[in-house]
This record gives sequence, structure tokens and C-alpha cells, in this order.
Amino acid sequence: MILTAVFLLSLSALSFEILLVRIFSISQWNHLSFMVISITLFGFAVGGTWLNIIDIHKKGWEKHLSSFENIHIFTILFTLSTIISFIVLNRIPLDYFRLPLEPIQAFYLLTAYLLLALPFFFTGLVVSIAYAFMPEKTGFVYFASMAGSASGAIIPVIFLPFIYEGSLIILSAVIPLAVIFLKHPGHNQGRILTKRRYFRLICLCIFIIAGVLIVKGGNTIVQVKPSPYKKLSQMLLFPNTRITETTNSIRGRFENIESPHFRFAPGLSLKYKGLLPDQTATFKDGDNPLFLYQLKSQSDVQFSNFTLPYSGYLLVPHPKHILVIQHGGGSAIPCALASGSDNITIVEQQPQIANRVQQHYKLPVINQNPRTFLARSDRRYDIIHIENWGTSLPGSAALTQDYFFTIESFTQYFQHLSNNGVFIVSRLLLLPPSDAIRLWATAYESLRSLEIKSPEKHIAVLRNWNTFTMIVSAQPFNDTAVIEDVAQNLNFDMVYLPGISKKNVNRFNIFDAPYHYIEIQRLAEAYRLGTEKTYFETYPLDVFPQTDNRPFPYRFLKWSRLKALYKMTGSRFYSLFMSGEIVVSVVLIEALGISILLLILPFFTTLKETRRFYFSHMLYFFAVGSGFMFIELFFINEYIFIFGDPVISLTVVITGLLVFSAFGGYWSQRISAKNFRIAIAALIVILVCMFFIINPMMHSIIQLNQFLRYTLSLLLLLPAGFLMGLPFPLGMRYILNLPSQRAYAWTTNGCASVLASIASAQIALGLGISAIMIFAISAYFLAFITLCFKRI
Amino acid sequence: MGQVQKDTPKYQQAREKMVLSQIRLRGISDKKVLKAMSEVFRHCFVPEELASQAYADHPLPIGEGQTISQPYIVALMTESLKLKGPESVLEIGTGSGYQAAILANVTKEVYTVEIRKKLHTKANETLRSLGYTNIKTRHADGYFGWPEAAPFDCIMITAAIDHIPPPLLKQLKDGGRLILPLGNPFSYQNLSLVTKQGEDYTVKQITGVLFVPMTGYALDHN
Repeated sequence: MILTAVFLLSLSALSFEILLVRIFSISQWNHLSFMVISITLFGFAVGGTWLNIIDIHKKGWEKHLSSFENIHIFTILFTLSTIISFIVLNRIPLDYFRLPLEPIQAFYLLTAYLLLALPFFFTGLVVSIAYAFMPEKTGFVYFASMAGSASGAIIPVIFLPFIYEGSLIILSAVIPLAVIFLKHPGHNQGRILTKRRYFRLICLCIFIIAGVLIVKGGNTIVQVKPSPYKKLSQMLLFPNTRITETTNSIRGRFENIESPHFRFAPGLSLKYKGLLPDQTATFKDGDNPLFLYQLKSQSDVQFSNFTLPYSGYLLVPHPKHILVIQHGGGSAIPCALASGSDNITIVEQQPQIANRVQQHYKLPVINQNPRTFLARSDRRYDIIHIENWGTSLPGSAALTQDYFFTIESFTQYFQHLSNNGVFIVSRLLLLPPSDAIRLWATAYESLRSLEIKSPEKHIAVLRNWNTFTMIVSAQPFNDTAVIEDVAQNLNFDMVYLPGISKKNVNRFNIFDAPYHYIEIQRLAEAYRLGTEKTYFETYPLDVFPQTDNRPFPYRFLKWSRLKALYKMTGSRFYSLFMSGEIVVSVVLIEALGISILLLILPFFTTLKETRRFYFSHMLYFFAVGSGFMFIELFFINEYIFIFGDPVISLTVVITGLLVFSAFGGYWSQRISAKNFRIAIAALIVILVCMFFIINPMMHSIIQLNQFLRYTLSLLLLLPAGFLMGLPFPLGMRYILNLPSQRAYAWTTNGCASVLASIASAQIALGLGISAIMIFAISAYFLAFITLCFKRI
Repeated sequence: MGQVQKDTPKYQQAREKMVLSQIRLRGISDKKVLKAMSEVFRHCFVPEELASQAYADHPLPIGEGQTISQPYIVALMTESLKLKGPESVLEIGTGSGYQAAILANVTKEVYTVEIRKKLHTKANETLRSLGYTNIKTRHADGYFGWPEAAPFDCIMITAAIDHIPPPLLKQLKDGGRLILPLGNPFSYQNLSLVTKQGEDYTVKQITGVLFVPMTGYALDHN
């Protein structure tokens, strides 16, 4: 029975974790989902610590706690705490922006944090009881736990299109109660039977409450609403604005909105005197809107001629083929239509958005990762146009992996340009200059990699008061008259153009000094002198061009310049909390503190003579826990490149790794003590091989069709995943002797997982994704070394 | 919010301190603006539970995802319009009503438009109860301005926008000024001042004091 409970609780807990990530993405921002990882693993780890604490007070606790009554009680508590914690989180007036202002907000945050950790605590408790109770069957416990978690990861994928997040949490929370209804030998007599009936009655009450919550509370108590600071919430306060359709999936919540107040036209010249066509919009998770214009006649797209990105179109007067890479916004499509081209290809990777764009414009839309599309296409385009305007909270996208603005992606774009083709990219203008410098450097590096002689002669940058557009031409800009004329006529400013002089910049949209021009000139000069590395190192913000290994185009923070940044943002402490990277660091510090507390606590609560915790034990399980999590995060980050979506990547990797690890755990029952070290050595060898082959494999896999991409991605996880399932159950069986040691090992493993999961975000940002694998290999190597000094 | 709270010595002191340390020392010197900043009861425009923070050097949430700007930004925006007194000013995005109250203390008449019904109602109540008679409020779409009262000497946009609405530019007098903030109130902001000269427009970026270290760095290395 206990194995069934482990399976069902692991299933429900992982489903809850993934759904919480979705809820945080909607109700807050993506970067706060790190809090969920921290909460989950913290809850798991506390389960082990709690057992260590009771170890001294109750001898033979593993037998007592693994009795059917206690397992049933923990299961019921899991279900209740899941439902209650979710409802509290959804209803509590927690406002992160008020956190530095109102002490009560800290209480709300703590309440939410502790309540959300409770379900994971009960899961961790049952799993660690199982390990302690069945030391000879650690492989089976591991199998049940991992297989349950893998099944839990799939639940949101299957059910989110039909059931909203809140209702699905309640449904998945009641799944473990099935253990109470299963028949077990010896449980059908006398007192036990009466107790079982009592438990079943409680379950029935919970089912009724859950049913009422789903049926009656779908639109109120369990409905997840976007943060009031998000664009969608603000738009919905406008009169006559309404949601016309909602599509839900693991990729996100997509809402179509109708409003007479949508007027999206970034980069519009002040010379434009007309009105804009009516628009509708589709929001993803309450943010990142895509605007769709009601274009009844050709005159409705004329406003595009007055926008900054359209300057690039003037360089190719009659474009035959245009490629629009859809990445939010929506103003690129009217630009393409205004050019008169009758061969426009739109690529959009989100199926929901692709459908919507296709239905709206009646244009062919290719629903594919643009990198896959380009890798599989030989066609050349006169214009390739991409726009991206960021999220409504600056800094929140710092952790977002985006493969559309890396050196490798630019190389792909340029390779698909026709002889006289141009690539156009438009973004928000940031001050101090950052994004514009980085994109210029990215284009330069990419052109250089294609052996273009003078890359700087192929790039032009223009701006208005709040946006900039970079144009990269297949041919050098020998004649700059077209660009100069459009800037003059529409009151745009040139930022960079070959041969441009200072007197021709900063004329219409005037800064105290032409900051963007100055910095890009300095960078161009640095490239000419070969000192670009020094430039990037000394510039106060991180403006290094991004690569596929370090694809964080919205991240500019340099930790060494944090003080300057703090002063720059008005010495306001709370403004730093807008940065996803800083949030992660705060969570890391907090997790470190909690981990130390959980690992030290048993030393103070147990008697010295009964204490059997050894440093080498702790080191081994810490290394194994962190190694597992590093690998998981490594693959999640790598697979975003293939799938173009972090949630799909997360689901594929978690499901794959957990299933394969589960079988590894099962297989571990057959591994003898003398083969223990060999198993870990084999894992290290596999990981080292993986480190060297993964990048070329990723670039090959991305070119394949969807079926092969998914299949190969899963198969790639098999060798490492299977072997990763061995060290933990083998360690539990062959290194440890006492139930309390196993509970402590569980805590150590949990703490290591929390720290590794948060640290890997920081490693990827600073050193690149492949560095996470180096940390994983080092962790398992440490585990191996620990075993070498131990008699097994 | 909306309830007029008494002006206690505690608030008076906080206001004086705000004007001196947050506004004067950062370079705001227009006497009318300084006077307005020291006279308008900012604590009446923020939620009651945040009243103690009303004069602090940061924006505050006022509900529904909206904010009341940092005092310095309010002063900087007002000063940047170079108001003499007899002007007619249009404000787009009433929000809490605080900016309109400051403008009303500096100039003859203020027209303010808010698209969100709840905010409009609250701000209207607060402004009426504080006795402002030279502020006209309207619940409408600010994108189209206030054509009946046009043209305006100055227009102030306090909401984040991706382009400057052509109808507003039309309602600006020749030589008129339009100011709008850039960036997010919670992180950093700078201002853009648009000046209409016949058919042409110039946009001047007012970076304020917040960017000194960075921009200074950029210039030093040029």
C-alpha cells in the first residue's frame, strides 16, 4: 500500500507543482516561478527533517508511521492542504509591489509560502517513511516516486485544454485519495474495517467539497486572474472591452480581446495625421499582446508607411518574398502588406497564435519554430522582419531564453536574404543604451562569421523617441540617401549609418547627448581596433552579443556594477526587484538559509549518542541531489532551443528523465554493492560524452519533423536518465543503516535539489547553458570520490 | 482614497521635507511648482493604508494596477511644461488626481480625462472635496483628447503609450508643449517633451537626475 501511496502522492504533487508554475505565470510573472521550485523542494526536504526530529522521541517510528492509518491520514492532509493552500494563494491580497511598503504583505507572503509547502511536506514525509520502512526495497520506492512524478507531469498537458488551472489543481489533489479505496489484504477485519469506513466517509466529504468548488467556484473562488499590473488586467478596465475567447494549454492561456481602445503603432512618426485601423488583440498569460488590425482596404495599412520599421522596406522597393517572424507585437504584418508584396510568409511558433493570425488575415501562417523553419528552407527573402516589444514589467524577462536574437540566429536570417535583401529588427529604445548596442554587435559578429569584409558597412540603426529599428543589408550601404531622406521626412533620427557624422544625429528626438550614437561608434571603433572584448568588459551593463549557448537577450545586469545600477534607478531598492535575475538571487539566498537550517536542525534535536549522521553521507546525497537537478535543468534549457517553448521543454524533460530514472531505480534492485561505483562511473562517462555531442545534436534535431524531434529528444534522455536513477536508491541501500539516516539523506537530497535548481539559472546567465553540465559532472564525480573512500 | 484626511503637522512636516530633499535638491527651481508641491495634500490621493508613505521618494500603488507617480517625477513633469499661469492644460490619465491638483495650483484651468470609470469617480470625488474648481474631469478615452476645449497650451500624458496620438497633436496650440513619461513607474522613468512648431515637432528627452552615473560614464569615455 505504501508504494501505491508514494506513486499517487508523487503524481499529484508534481501535477500541483507544474500547475503552480502556470498559475504564477498568469497571476504574476514567469520569473517568480522559481519560488515554486523552492517551495516544492523545501516542502519535500522538511519531511525528512521532521522524521529526524521525532526519531529521538519515538522508537520504531518507521513501522508506526507506515501503518495504513497514518498513510491515510497523510494522504488526506495532502489533499486538504493542496486545496486550501491554492485557494488561499488565489484569494490572499498579496501584492509584490506593496511588499517594501506594507509590513502586512510580508505576512501574506510568508503565509502563502508556508501553506504551499504543506502538500509537498506530506508527500516528502510519505516517501521518506517508505525509504526508512523498506530499506531493502529502495529501488522500488524510487521507481514508485519517479514513475508517479512522471505521470503527474503529463496531467496538465492532457487536461489543461479542457479544464482551467484552478479546477485541475482540485481534481489532481483528490487523486491520491484513491489509495484509501483500494483493497489491501488483512484490512477487512474488525477494528481496521471500521477505521477504513471512517476514512472513506471523510474522502466522500472531500469529493463533495471538491465537486462544489469546481462546479460553483469555477468563475470565482478557483479562477486564476492575471496580476492587476499586467496589460490585460489594465485593458479590461477600459469600457466596452471584453474577452471573446479563451484557449488554455500547457503553453499558456491565450485570450482574444475586443476593444475599441486598442491602438498599437510603435515607431509611428509624429507626422502621421490619420487614424489607425480598428484592432483586436490576443494576450498570452495576460501579457505579451499580439495586435491584429482590421484591414478593410489597402488604405488601412498606409499608417505603416509612417512607422520606423518601414524604413527598411524602402530599401527594397518591390519585394517579391517577405518573411515575417512573428514574436509578439503585430505591426510587422501591416508593414509587409503595405509593401505590396503578394508573397508573404509568416512564421509563428505558438499554435494558438498561428491559428488566430491565419484566420484573421487569411494569409498562410507556418506554425513552426522559426529556427526550424529556416534550417529546413532554402528559400531566400527580400525582407526578413522581426519585432519584439518586451513584457509590461521591465526586467521580468531577464531569465527568458530567446533564440531569435543570438549570433547563430542572425546568421540564419542573413543566409536567407536575397542578393539585395534586408533584415529588419525593431525593439524598444532603452536608456542607458543597452539593447541597441547588443543587437548591433550581434549583427556585426554574425556578418563576420559569414566572412563579410566590412560588417559595419551593412548595418543601419534608426530611432524615434521610444523605439529603434536596425536594418542589416546583404549589400553594403554605399548609397545612404534613402535612409537619410526617410529620417528627414518623418522626423526619425539616425543612430548608426556608415559614414554618418555627429551633426546628423540627435536632431528630432533630442537627448542631452546622442548616447546611442556615441556608444555604437565606440563599439564600431573597438571592433576596428580589435579591442571589442575590452569594450564589453568595461561597459557598465552586460551588452555582450548573445549566443545559442547563452541566449538571454533581455538581460543586461552586471553584478559588479550593481551599485551603479542602484544609483541609476534613483537609489530605490524596490526597483531592483523588477529584475528576474535579482529575484532568483534573493530566492537562492533564502533557499540556502532554509537548507542550512534543515540540515543543522537534526543535530540539535537528536541525542549525541544516537546520532549517526556522517559528513560523507551528507556529501554523497548532496552531490547526487544537485547532480540530478543540474542535469534536469541542463536539458530543460537545451531543449527550449528545439521546442521553442520553455513549458514544452520542461514537460518533455521532466517526463522523460523521471520515467527513465524510475526504470533505473527499479533496475537498481539487481545491482550488487560491488557494482555500485561502476554504475556512477558509467553515468559520469555518459555525461561527459553528452557534454561534447549535445550541441551538434541539437542543431541536427531542430531540422527534423515534429515526430522525430520529440522522439529523438526523448531518446537522448534515455542513457543519462536511466543511470541517474541508480545513485540515490543504491546509496540509500548500501551506505545507510538506520531509518533516521535515510530520512536525513532525503532532506539532504531535497536541499541540494533546491539549491542546484536555482543556481543553474545563475550559471546559465553568467557562463552559458553548457556550464550547467560541467557542474553536474563535477557533482557526480564528487559522489564517486566519496564512495572511493568508503567501505560498502 | 477619496476621503479627505486632515492635514496634520506630521503630514506638513513630511511635505516640507519632500519638497526640500526630493525636489529642490534635485534641481527643481520653479517657484510655482515648489509652492504647489508644498500645498497639495498628497496623502489624500493615496490609499488610506499607504498614507504614511505618501511623501516618500517613490511611486505608490493606488489599486487596479495603477500608481501615483514619485513626487519628483510629478514636479519634473510640471516644471518641464514651463507654465506661466494663464495656460489651459489637458491631462490624459487622471489616475489618483494628484497631478491634476498640482497643475491646478500652477495654471488657470486643467482638463483631465480618465478612461477607467472607478479611478475617474474616485479622483473626481477627491478633487471636489479638496475644493478644486478649476479642474474639469471627464470619463472618456484620452486618445481623442478633449476637442471642445481645444486647443491647449500644454498636454500632459501620464499613461504609458507606444505612440503619441495624432488627435492630441492636433489639439496642441502652435508652440505648445506635450509631455509624457517613458519607462515603468516602478523601475525608472525619463520624460519626453514634444514641442509643436508649425507642421514640425521636436521631441526632447528629459533624463532628469536618474541617469547621471550612466550617461556621465558614456560621455567620459567618448
